Amino acid sequence: MKSKSRSAFIRSLSLHAVLIPLAIIWLFPLWMMFVFATMPDYGIFSPHIELLPSTHFAENLGNLQADTDFIRALMISLSVAMIYTFLSVLLTAMAGWALARYQFLGKSLVIGIILGTITLPYFVVVIPQFIMVAREFRLANTWVALIVPPLFNSLGVLFMRQAFSMMPSELFDAARVEGVKEWQIFLRIALPLARPTMAALAIILFLHSWNNYLWPLLINSRPGMMTAPVALGTLIGLTKVSWGGIMAGAVLLTAPILVVFILLQRHFIAGIAAGAIK
Amino acid sequence: MQSSRNRAAYGFLAPYLLIFAVFWIWPIISSFVMSFQNTRINPWTFSPGANWGRLFSDPAFYNALKNTMIILVIQVPVMITLATIMAVLLNSPLLKAKGLFRFAFFAPVVVGEVAYAAVFRLMFNLDFGIVNKLLNAAGIPSISWFAEAPAAMALLIIAVTWRWAGYNAIIILAGLQSIPDDVYEAATLDRVSKLKQFIYITLPLLRPIILFCVVLSIIGSMQLFTEPFLITNRGGPGGGTETLGLFLYRQGFASLNFGYASAIAYTMAALAIAISLLNLWVGREPK
Amino acid sequence: MAELSLKGVVKRYGSYEIIRNASLDVADGEFVVFVGPSGCGKSTLLRMIAGLEHITDGEIRIGSTVVNDVEPADRGIAMVFQSYALYPHMTVEENLAFGLRMTGNPKVDTQRRVQRVADILQIRELMKRRPKQLSGGQRQRVAIGRAIVREPQVFLFDEPLSNLDAELRVQMRVEISRLHKELGTTMIYVTHDQTEAMTLADKIVVLRGGNIEQIGAPLDLYDNPANQFVAGFVGSPKMNFMSAEIIEATDHSVTITLLNQGNVRVTLPVERPRGGSGERVTLGIRPEHFVKAGQGDADLTIKVDVAEHLGNTSYIYANVTGGEQIIIEREESRNETNRDLLTVAIRSSHAFLFDSDGNRLR
Repeated sequence: MKSKSRSAFIRSLSLHAVLIPLAIIWLFPLWMMFVFATMPDYGIFSPHIELLPSTHFAENLGNLQADTDFIRALMISLSVAMIYTFLSVLLTAMAGWALARYQFLGKSLVIGIILGTITLPYFVVVIPQFIMVAREFRLANTWVALIVPPLFNSLGVLFMRQAFSMMPSELFDAARVEGVKEWQIFLRIALPLARPTMAALAIILFLHSWNNYLWPLLINSRPGMMTAPVALGTLIGLTKVSWGGIMAGAVLLTAPILVVFILLQRHFIAGIAAGAIK
Repeated sequence: MQSSRNRAAYGFLAPYLLIFAVFWIWPIISSFVMSFQNTRINPWTFSPGANWGRLFSDPAFYNALKNTMIILVIQVPVMITLATIMAVLLNSPLLKAKGLFRFAFFAPVVVGEVAYAAVFRLMFNLDFGIVNKLLNAAGIPSISWFAEAPAAMALLIIAVTWRWAGYNAIIILAGLQSIPDDVYEAATLDRVSKLKQFIYITLPLLRPIILFCVVLSIIGSMQLFTEPFLITNRGGPGGGTETLGLFLYRQGFASLNFGYASAIAYTMAALAIAISLLNLWVGREPK
Repeated sequence: MAELSLKGVVKRYGSYEIIRNASLDVADGEFVVFVGPSGCGKSTLLRMIAGLEHITDGEIRIGSTVVNDVEPADRGIAMVFQSYALYPHMTVEENLAFGLRMTGNPKVDTQRRVQRVADILQIRELMKRRPKQLSGGQRQRVAIGRAIVREPQVFLFDEPLSNLDAELRVQMRVEISRLHKELGTTMIYVTHDQTEAMTLADKIVVLRGGNIEQIGAPLDLYDNPANQFVAGFVGSPKMNFMSAEIIEATDHSVTITLLNQGNVRVTLPVERPRGGSGERVTLGIRPEHFVKAGQGDADLTIKVDVAEHLGNTSYIYANVTGGEQIIIEREESRNETNRDLLTVAIRSSHAFLFDSDGNRLR
């Protein structure tokens, strides 16, 4: 017994000996982001090793705002992410419901196409999307351009479909016998029961939209209509720019999501583990 | 009755299908057609040689392909190994403060590409970057991460691994947790050591999930764009970190040569399909 | 309230027939039980009556209307499901009222109906709870309540008691029986449990492989099974079947020899004997119909493998391993069965004869 607890102790010790340094390395960039954001530019580019935060966050924020209208960009990002998340969850839930619970002509074709497009690189669609939205519809630098094209979401549909098909069908039959309409069954029974799945999906979709870079970069590059990542991205690589400001912006982009992540870790992990979206 | 009920399905499906058709299916077809068109003259004309012919003789393409492959071959195995180690260690009942470690490894997953690109640029700065300062403190000379191609590639690999290892660890951890405890209890009663349990029980059961992660990661890394765009400053030094994604971006959206960009996109698609098929073949049930 | 009839009802999936030509008349207020082994089509038949499954061919009538193409909600039926199918995110009260609310029933009337049901089923104190906070029996009550609220012409029950433990099942069975008397509504009830069928039904419909094997009152089926399947399905423990061969057939009787039971000979009264000597037949005798040696028409000696004493009665098992297992139920003293060999008697009046296709020879 004694030797067993001793070997467990040694195992626990070596476990922590591997994990603690790894965790420190992994947290280091995040920590440095916060440190940089509080440092004046002369601190960031000082020859000394600076690992502790300073007090210049507000100043950096002011510099950032002077370089680009970051507050506005944040507001656009937030609004877009919220509208996108709402619409996308609704659309994928409806489609997932149809594919989970009904038999209809063309069903396996639809599922086949959705499955078939999952591993297709995004670059295959982004070029015609750009031509269509920017040139044919003339929708560049609009809200619609930011929100609508990314609404296709194959994995979200499959995720919702999975959730709906695991619900007992007697529940819906019971409602049918009672004369409840199909859309009422969806709205009043299926959706409330799928709430945990929708929460996981919504978080992942929100994250996806909030961090999305390539599409907004292509379609909304006019200063007044840039999302926060795009606005910040334009500053990276400029020569006369406040790096403390960029870091303050990075913190504003990251901190809210990190807080949400800490609060809703379970849903995050559920969403990612289900491979809901990359 | 039943058929009218099933007709309701089309109503539920319609909005999604509309978006799906307009913004997914149509573009997939359209870019395929475009890849065979000369899009540098107006009107666009059918001219397969303009893009496909050029692609296979374009040194810039081979450079981007080479860089992408180098990143794939090094980054994916390193990251998946790390992710597996993270997941297995996080799953240990002996671990204290599990939440803290989980946060450390999973947090990068939620950090935006632009934000982390900015941080990595600062951290790896030649003269003022904290990484070189720490290397110097340890007696190692500074590495010019942005001026030398191999170092710049290493930087990209480090950055992408940092960002995505936790993501894969989450998936692998979920797989680990789905292995029933009694399998291990039975093995322990049979006096099978922990290490052997890992090799002969855990790894075989995890195989499909790890394969899934490998495919996801390969397809993800193949499309690498933001990191070389922002961290190594548009694929610098001198195209030393130009990936297929970046090459496509330059052709399609900087030079506005949509046909050529489409041909590049379909080359990526062909690679992705080949990798998926390879995965199916590797992951097939043993007969 | 209404009667119900099925005429030549067929359900086919591709070329696979789940229900073959089912016809049945249910009188107003009757309690009908569909019984059969799993996969026999009984639930499908019920779901077709409910309108949850389309019928391939035939006609279903409720009252005087053909309902083939009528929506489930407009058929005047209410259904209780095996899993109760209570909406987990609603309270009991909301569960009861949901259907009425969704179909635009006047609020006051809905409230009145829900209250009435709460009284009938004595679930007033559960109204604010969620299904999760209820016991299995309480959930079952609410599920039944949700059916009653609809004030249907026909109640449909799909194995409603199979998720309950044995004790509760008996209790709920009695309650459903009471409810039927109180409401007087037509009820159709699906179960695989023959005890439930026997105790609840006015009329039992025995199904096998999509065919209706027999329709009749419970004791009719027990006394007069139409074939070997029904004979084996109704009654517990199961009827014993012994292979036999006809050695002589006269105008009103058949003499057989039991092939696996020491060639014992029995003569049975048969009205219209078919086949002649040498034909293989099966003799069926219920465990409770054996009598003491010498008191019947033929004596049979068996080797006792296991004897189970339940106090009021004993079950004796012979030929447990392989061959023809025989179960005998006896109410004599326990000691009498504690020996290796036992001789019992068969009464020809309580024996059934089946031909090789399982049809009854009478």
